[in-house]
Amino acid sequence: MTISHHPPEDLLADFAAGRLEEAHQLVVGVHVAGCARCGRFVQAIEQLGGLALEDVEPVPVASDAFEQVMSRIHDAPEQRAARTADLARGRDQDVPAALRNYRIGKRRRVAPGLSMRSIELSGSGKARAFLLRSAPGTRMLEHTHTGTELTLVLEGSFSHEGGRFGPGDFDYGDDETDHRPIVGDEGPCVCLVAMTGDLRMNGLLGRLIGPFVRL
Amino acid sequence: MIAAIRALDAPIRAKAGFPWRIEARLSTGASKGPKTKVDWADLIGRVASTGDREAFRRLFEHFAPRIKGLMLKGGCSSDEAEEIAQNAMIAVWRKASQFDPATAGAAAWIFTIARNLRIDLFRSRARADRLRGTSELPDAPDPAESADAVMSRVQDAARINSAVKRLSTEQSMVVRLSFIEERPHPEIASLLGIPLGTVKSRIRLAMNRLRDILDEEA
Repeated sequence: MTISHHPPEDLLADFAAGRLEEAHQLVVGVHVAGCARCGRFVQAIEQLGGLALEDVEPVPVASDAFEQVMSRIHDAPEQRAARTADLARGRDQDVPAALRNYRIGKRRRVAPGLSMRSIELSGSGKARAFLLRSAPGTRMLEHTHTGTELTLVLEGSFSHEGGRFGPGDFDYGDDETDHRPIVGDEGPCVCLVAMTGDLRMNGLLGRLIGPFVRL
Repeated sequence: MIAAIRALDAPIRAKAGFPWRIEARLSTGASKGPKTKVDWADLIGRVASTGDREAFRRLFEHFAPRIKGLMLKGGCSSDEAEEIAQNAMIAVWRKASQFDPATAGAAAWIFTIARNLRIDLFRSRARADRLRGTSELPDAPDPAESADAVMSRVQDAARINSAVKRLSTEQSMVVRLSFIEERPHPEIASLLGIPLGTVKSRIRLAMNRLRDILDEEA
């Protein structure tokens, strides 16, 4: 897998610092898991986090904190194992490993050649996350975004003015991006998408079907 | 450049509670303070191999108050910061055997644990607000663990360490203030005594520099 499109550095730094909202954390996280280059960048920021932790002014913890912690360790040594077993229930071969801890909705057709599965998030952020599957050769309608859109290709490819995006590639769109992606012919294209705001279809057809395309 | 940073020293120290011992770091560049350097990685190793309670107590005494301090800076309430500090130390105990000193420093590893707990806390808080007692969602994946295409990580670790060290003090400082401590840009500007517009460009520059150094060493 040759990855040629990466998230911008500030997004990676926010990811490493744990500052991204959930949908963005998810998309950037799946990219980072498969991209050694961005993985190194994230680790470098984590190193800086370690340095900050060393240098920060210590704030006293509760006077009995150590005893509390020791008794909790003693009381529930197997807690982690139980949790892992719990998570195994949600497995689904269709989705990448990083998504297996999430509940993923049924596939829903949104337009010809286009279907999506929404990913259930905690609701702490504004962006939604979903898997978008488009048939080979699909021409997406020309569209702009009212918010931001982070896209990670999981399978297949698409191309637009910014280049060709294959598995592992990351695409960032905002309200200044105006693009018209075309899905590659080699197979369906599956993307993990985090989106704030709405898609706004340009052109008459877009305006006609726009209300029905609830992405 | 040292002179420039010395000049920054005054506004920084004027701000109460500014945490970094800038003078010490500038003068030695490495270990700080008069205390002998403790090998935290070794203590974690002892927790992993023999459940060494005394080693764990030393880790706890050093890191728990620092985790609490960092979490307070990151917008947690005092109770939340305490909870994260305690839970992080429990995780240190439980995950001690997963710690690999060849790939991460002890402090960076503990930082990622606390970071992940904070993510979980913020999400479960939102979940509780929204769902009020309906079915519990599974936990968020652990970002530190999910990035485990680990084969090349050992060579990477040395490279990453040296890359971070090659950042200038002012570059690593601006990254830490902005991303780790989450201070808003106007506050960073006044802390560092630089114009607001410079904050953004300095962050940008630091990010690019880090990326370049990492690519160069790859």
